[in-house]
Amino acid sequence: MSRDFTFFGIYVPSLLIILFASIPLMWLVDKLILWTGAYRLVWHPQLFRVSFFVCIFGALGLLVYT
Amino acid sequence: MTPAPNSAHPPRAAAVWELWRDAAQEWLRSSLPSWIFIAKTLAAALLSLWIAMRLELPQPRTAMTTVFIVMQPYSGAVIAKSFYRIAGTVIGSLVSLLIVGLFAHQPTILLAATILWIGICTAGATRNRNFRSYAFVLAGYTAALVAVPTIMDPDSIFQAAVTRVNEVSLGVIVSTVISALVFPQFAGDAIPRAVRSRFTGFVEFIAACLAGRIDRAGLDATNVRFVGDVISLEATRSVAVFEHPETRLRSPILIRMNHDFMAVSTRLHALHQLFNRLRDGPEAGSNLVREYFEPYLREIAPLLSPETAPVLKAADARASAERLVSFRASLPQRLRATREQLAAAGLAANQSTGLLLDFDTAAELLLRFVDELYAYTDSYAALAKPSASQTQAARPFVPKTGLLNSAVSGLRAVVALSTVGLFWFATAWPSGELMMIFAGTAVALAATTANPLRVATGLLYGTVLALPAGAICVFLLYPLIDGFPLLCVALTPFLVGGLALTAYPRWAGVGTGFLIFFCFAAGPDNVIHYDPIDFFNNMLGLILATGLAAAAFVLILPPTSGWWLAHIVRDLRRQVVMVCNSERAGLSERFEGGTRDLVQQACMLTTERVNAPQVALSWMFLVLEIGHAVLELRDETASMGIVSPIGANIGERGGWQQTLRATRLDIEQLFRKPTEEQRMNALRTTSHAIAVMQATIERASTGTTAFNEAHIASMHRIASYLHFIRSALLDCDSPLPGGPSFCKTAPTGVPNVA
Repeated sequence: MSRDFTFFGIYVPSLLIILFASIPLMWLVDKLILWTGAYRLVWHPQLFRVSFFVCIFGALGLLVYT
Repeated sequence: MTPAPNSAHPPRAAAVWELWRDAAQEWLRSSLPSWIFIAKTLAAALLSLWIAMRLELPQPRTAMTTVFIVMQPYSGAVIAKSFYRIAGTVIGSLVSLLIVGLFAHQPTILLAATILWIGICTAGATRNRNFRSYAFVLAGYTAALVAVPTIMDPDSIFQAAVTRVNEVSLGVIVSTVISALVFPQFAGDAIPRAVRSRFTGFVEFIAACLAGRIDRAGLDATNVRFVGDVISLEATRSVAVFEHPETRLRSPILIRMNHDFMAVSTRLHALHQLFNRLRDGPEAGSNLVREYFEPYLREIAPLLSPETAPVLKAADARASAERLVSFRASLPQRLRATREQLAAAGLAANQSTGLLLDFDTAAELLLRFVDELYAYTDSYAALAKPSASQTQAARPFVPKTGLLNSAVSGLRAVVALSTVGLFWFATAWPSGELMMIFAGTAVALAATTANPLRVATGLLYGTVLALPAGAICVFLLYPLIDGFPLLCVALTPFLVGGLALTAYPRWAGVGTGFLIFFCFAAGPDNVIHYDPIDFFNNMLGLILATGLAAAAFVLILPPTSGWWLAHIVRDLRRQVVMVCNSERAGLSERFEGGTRDLVQQACMLTTERVNAPQVALSWMFLVLEIGHAVLELRDETASMGIVSPIGANIGERGGWQQTLRATRLDIEQLFRKPTEEQRMNALRTTSHAIAVMQATIERASTGTTAFNEAHIASMHRIASYLHFIRSALLDCDSPLPGGPSFCKTAPTGVPNVA
């Protein structure tokens, strides 16, 4: 995957697209975890969610920067 | 700190230690949260400044300013505000692109279009009183921030818009992450406490109210508090859903609970009012009714929260709800028995007229009250263990400011900004551009708050304070320091000072103003420019801009004038008109919420006119009582008409339905335009309708018409609601025109049409 691509004549970094892609993904995972009730077992749910998001974003980012 | 004089028994050192420990605990409880908040905000601001400088964004100060604007004690509030801030910034930037794209060659039209856009956004911001208003504010002044500097250089607009969005997003992300991760404070944790204290307060109020232990002033104060509670709980809830997925599950229950609370407190007031009227009423039989009815009232408060098992958390409410159910189940039968006793006693005392009607009205209100109380307690219990059906979506009550108020606020922004724009174009002052931008910011920011005048003057004072602070920083400290750590050291005292100010509600405006304008004046760029003339020109522009914004709030229809109160009262009356003639679906929520919202707005006006809450409250009660009764009338007639149309004797059925319609029309007319004459008219129609109803019931129960049992019960209820409306119209303390003299001259009896 290239690091930039053109969007209506504007250069957009691929990471931005990946960021937008990981938001719905995170939302899905969030719903799933809530449904299983696993948030009650976590010490700091907010920290958990943020870290999880960083994991998703980082993993997808590896597609571009490997 | 002096030790207690008789410190001989416990050793001296221990006593001093205890004193210190108590003081420390006191401090931990009261001040620690605000100091944590200050530390978090400072950390977020410096972190975002550092990132912005590392990324070499053109204006790192924007990221820092964003942190100060977005940071709130509750992390949910930060997320909500951040979300709307980003949304507003993006929209504002897009609009500025559009405006500059359209009018790049005509600076005057470009400026006029920007001003108009800010005016529209300010109006929208005033209309919405939740966080959405913040998106409007941002959409307005971001357009100004981006478009105005490019008036002389339209080609740079795209770069300017992208930069602005970048910097704001950076500040938003940093503050959201810091506030959610470092010592987070959750609005969701405050909700159970708020809900519990409201429940306990309400139970006490019920006990006091039904026992007649509360006077007019106490009643008003409690009701103002309840109105405030309803609105603040809704605000906390709307913030808390952003925090934790578990809170989101409970959110519909909280919405429903708020509705239930409004309904039950209205009914309680109606019941209380009815008893007041019975006490003061001219009919001698009233006392008899009270005597027979009061035992029921005394039973309710102990059912809810008995002294042996007080309701301390949501799970305890389940038992109360069950007690209410069993009480409710036996109630109709007991009431029927009491009614027969009362009828006998009335005959014995030779006072049967109106006696049973009073009793029926009270009984109907009591039944409804118990039902609604059960709904409220049930929702409370559901908070502990939500069932699937209770977590379904419910429509929250959305506070909205009146259209006229919003329009005036938008107009105010347009006038203020046009003045600035004219001044700028006429003098060609180099700092006029800045003045333009910050006048827009100040007007928009202040317009969304409860007391815009105080916030606008606060911003002005903040700017005045920021001038010397900024000058000291830029000209004395910056030349001495090198590197980011020292920059943090230099900035910290000023920022902490400003943040400490925001911790006090009285000084919040000053603090915010100071922080925003200090960041602007002294916020470091990667390459710092030393240009004293430019600096003082800019600061003068800022002070003029905020001063002008404050002047606009003083001069152009200030929110403190009596005119606004009259306007709100008119809107309150309109609520009854709405109840009389609009679509039934969702009407009771709109009616309850809207009425309380209006009262809340009236309570905000209180800076100058002390009696505004009283005026608004007395209207609110009248509006709620009559509006509710009209709603019930509509429901009863609808249920009778639709369930089984009555075939025989059309003329008769049309007869009573027509009188009901006439009553509704007369009441609508009265609330559209209250005059003494119309009050008398409405009173007459209502009395006539009661008489017609009674006659119909009498005929129906002798079996000459085709009404069945359910219809007769419905008609009994209709008669009692009509009676309730009549007694509200007759009330001597009512704010309707006529005053006490009306009550003396008005006919109190029911005409005989049978």
